[in-house]
Amino acid sequence: MVTLITMFRLLRRLPWLGLTLLSLTLATAHAARSDTPTVATLDWTIAETLVALGVTPHAVAQVDAYHDWVGEPPLPDSVIDLGLRTQPNLELLASLEPDRILISPMFANLTSRLSRIAPVENLALYTPQSDTWEQMGELTRQVARLVERPHAGERLIETTEAHLASLRNSLGDDHPPLLIIQFMDERHVRVFGEHGLYQAVLDRLGLTNAWQGPTNYWGFSLVGIESLVDIDAQLVVVEPYPVGVEPQLTNSGLWQNLPSVRDGTLITLPSVWSFGALPSAKRFATELVAALEGDDAL
Amino acid sequence: MLSKPLPLLTPARLCLLLTLPLLSLALVSLQAQDSLVVGLQALFEAPERSSERLLLHYAWWPRLSMALLAGGGLALAGVLMQQVLRNPLAAPTTLGVASGANLALMAATLMAPWLLMPGREWVALAGGGLAMGLVFLLAWRRGLAPVVVVLAGLVVNLYVSALSMVLLLFHQEELKGLLIWGAGSLSQNGWDSVAYLWPRLAISALLAWLLLRPLAILELNDASARSLGVSLKHLRLAGLGVAVFITGCVVSVVGVIGFIGLAAPNIVRLAGARRLGQRLVWATLLGALLLATTDLLLQHFTNSLPTLIPTGATTAALGAPLLLWLIPRLHLQGDQPPGTAHTIGHRHFAPRRLATGIALALAIIALMALFAGQGADGWYWLSSQQWSVMEWRLPRLLAAAGSGVMLAIAGTLIQRVTANPMASPEVLGISGGSAIALIGAIFLLPSPGNLTLVAAGTLGALVSLALLILVNRRSGFLPERLLLTGVAITALFDAVRSIVLAGGDPRGQQVIAWLSGSTYYVDLQSAMIVTVAAIVLALATHPFARWLDILPLGAATSRALGIGVERSRLALLALVALLTACATLVVGPLSFVGLLAPHMARLLGFSRARMHLLGAALIGALLMVLADWLGRQLLFPQEIPAGLVASLLGGAYFMWGLRRL
Repeated sequence: MVTLITMFRLLRRLPWLGLTLLSLTLATAHAARSDTPTVATLDWTIAETLVALGVTPHAVAQVDAYHDWVGEPPLPDSVIDLGLRTQPNLELLASLEPDRILISPMFANLTSRLSRIAPVENLALYTPQSDTWEQMGELTRQVARLVERPHAGERLIETTEAHLASLRNSLGDDHPPLLIIQFMDERHVRVFGEHGLYQAVLDRLGLTNAWQGPTNYWGFSLVGIESLVDIDAQLVVVEPYPVGVEPQLTNSGLWQNLPSVRDGTLITLPSVWSFGALPSAKRFATELVAALEGDDAL
Repeated sequence: MLSKPLPLLTPARLCLLLTLPLLSLALVSLQAQDSLVVGLQALFEAPERSSERLLLHYAWWPRLSMALLAGGGLALAGVLMQQVLRNPLAAPTTLGVASGANLALMAATLMAPWLLMPGREWVALAGGGLAMGLVFLLAWRRGLAPVVVVLAGLVVNLYVSALSMVLLLFHQEELKGLLIWGAGSLSQNGWDSVAYLWPRLAISALLAWLLLRPLAILELNDASARSLGVSLKHLRLAGLGVAVFITGCVVSVVGVIGFIGLAAPNIVRLAGARRLGQRLVWATLLGALLLATTDLLLQHFTNSLPTLIPTGATTAALGAPLLLWLIPRLHLQGDQPPGTAHTIGHRHFAPRRLATGIALALAIIALMALFAGQGADGWYWLSSQQWSVMEWRLPRLLAAAGSGVMLAIAGTLIQRVTANPMASPEVLGISGGSAIALIGAIFLLPSPGNLTLVAAGTLGALVSLALLILVNRRSGFLPERLLLTGVAITALFDAVRSIVLAGGDPRGQQVIAWLSGSTYYVDLQSAMIVTVAAIVLALATHPFARWLDILPLGAATSRALGIGVERSRLALLALVALLTACATLVVGPLSFVGLLAPHMARLLGFSRARMHLLGAALIGALLMVLADWLGRQLLFPQEIPAGLVASLLGGAYFMWGLRRL
């Protein structure tokens, strides 16, 4: 048994010797070439932050789906698609020879593999027991430092805060609590609360979130529409509606009788990445305030 | 078909017993919201503005009515299916109707949303009907024998979930709503769905009542039934048609509700309802009560959770232990040697030469998989400067080949032991058990590493193996019972998966990625382990060749030839479990290689056990290596997991090969 194990260990190491030598030579050749680091990322939130910092990521996972679900800011055409976020194409990634790979804890199980290609940075955004807004700033700083643009990071934070502050000033005082939902099907919605992007934005804008119930790790809770009835709030629906849901809602007694729907005070916002960072937050804030002010004007 | 009724329990008493908790739960719930009187008022009149009454009128009462209707409907469908097929295990879920409907809706959502506009129920109905047709096709040659039907249902369920996995893997964001529906949530927001469902159920119940007398004749055997002048074919078709219609309607409204259709009819039978009429009435009532009680309980206890626990998946999870308890108490077709298993294929004149040929093909495909691929600039053939790419390709090739070999051998063993060409490690539930444990690890532990995941997976496989042994020890590891235990474990796995995915947690993507069976997560070290394990375990099967030649002839023959049947079954079973656990950890629980490789080997003419093992192992490796390579190239840079490609490739072949089953 023991001899088997030693044999095994030897077997295991043999191919590594060659590979290690090879990667050493490659690494030195590579370091000499570049001065601004090229980065690849699997996480859309990091990708949007990079673009907002004025850095084009070399490669991002699921570029098409990014444009469907995150949308703004768009990724330049030069960005290479790495395939699925959970299973990026390692061969392709290795051939691109990035200087750094940025991931979020969701992809932590890939760390050992990715770090054979380039140094991996694991950047957390949504962690319980911490202030989401602070975390967004921290994430922005970390990303900015990693791409060697610390000033751009500070600037992004400042402009976003300034933007939100000016939005806050433009808002009237007497806004009812808001209930932010996204439809999953005609009977179920995600309602966003603590630890989420939307909550952080509401806090900055001085608005109250009507959902005080528990939320999961990502700051939302999946509930049936009946859970919304008891809550006295103005409804904010974040698009997209799933196929066929809108016509079915017109037949839904409960939905039609929700105060917000009956009074026509319901707000619909274009889709915003619900798990994003500063760029998504800024966009959400802008859209929300525009909609609320549009309401006031009526 | 059940051995003996429980004393002191009549169906009426049973229903009464369930009505009490249902009523008290309903009362508690009504009191909590307002008062009983207001609650009853809200049932009949649309409220003005008060939110409590709004809730009662548009959510609480419709939900209760829906639970009663859906539960009753599914139980009724279950009784009909069980009567027509003379099979106590037939039910909407076990026959694949529910999962077929689910897949049809997913596909329609993605590819042809306009199909959903006239009504989701028609899409669901078509999908469910197709899936059940497939099950019958699979089991036709074996005379729709109960166990074969259930196994065919399981295979179809597995195949359908493989297809759903592909869709989910690439479209999780678009399909998240369907995940909730698929897990069976009863939540309502108006009387629409109830108004849709009840007339359809009423008509179906009327039809069932009209069919009552002729269907009762089916309790006789075919010959005596025919002598009474009944067209069995038309009768069966009518009975099943009604059952599928009910299932399709219920499923399209509230999604997949597990187990009520299986449990309610069996429980009333156990409680002493013998005649078909009795069973129809009491099972329908019991099904309605069961679902409504479960749903009220769930509403009561899960309000404080940040996620939704769907009722349908919960009943399925609760039902799995019930099925495990039920299995030893069922009288099924006994331990007969089914002769058909041996008539598949011819016997090749020179199996060794055939094996060499396959090995050669394997080598060629392996070389292609190592040297040909796509990069950022399109296709290229590996040159000597690009050796570093081997770091990524070699482990995957080895892991694919290794797990292919292990699954193929496991499949060969189990098919020979059970003398059933439909058996496979996936069917035994070992893959399912290890999958449950892995899902648990991904969700309960903060950022688990790969080592943790492997440990969890192994633990899960061992637990389900222990369960298999525990439940089947008394029956002496009868092949059919064993496979039924597998069905129960797989049902539990489906339930856990549905609950987890319905919550919409972004980590679900990771679960889906792993479930779909990819060699993605393999590094060189584990690839080596897999390869060595495959070789060692393959060699370990060598001494069992004699057993494997004799066991398919049936228990009596084997005993006469001096084989300790139970002992040998247990030994081979342990080997199968080990092989399956190792392979599942690499390629996930959904690959069909364990089913297909032995089958193909048989068809090519490997008939003696030793050559059958060798042939299956080579074919298994070939299938997986090819599937892995194709999966990495077809949608480059996205990768379709090898397990899924294998099952899609294999599934097509399997349907074609059905004629010979």
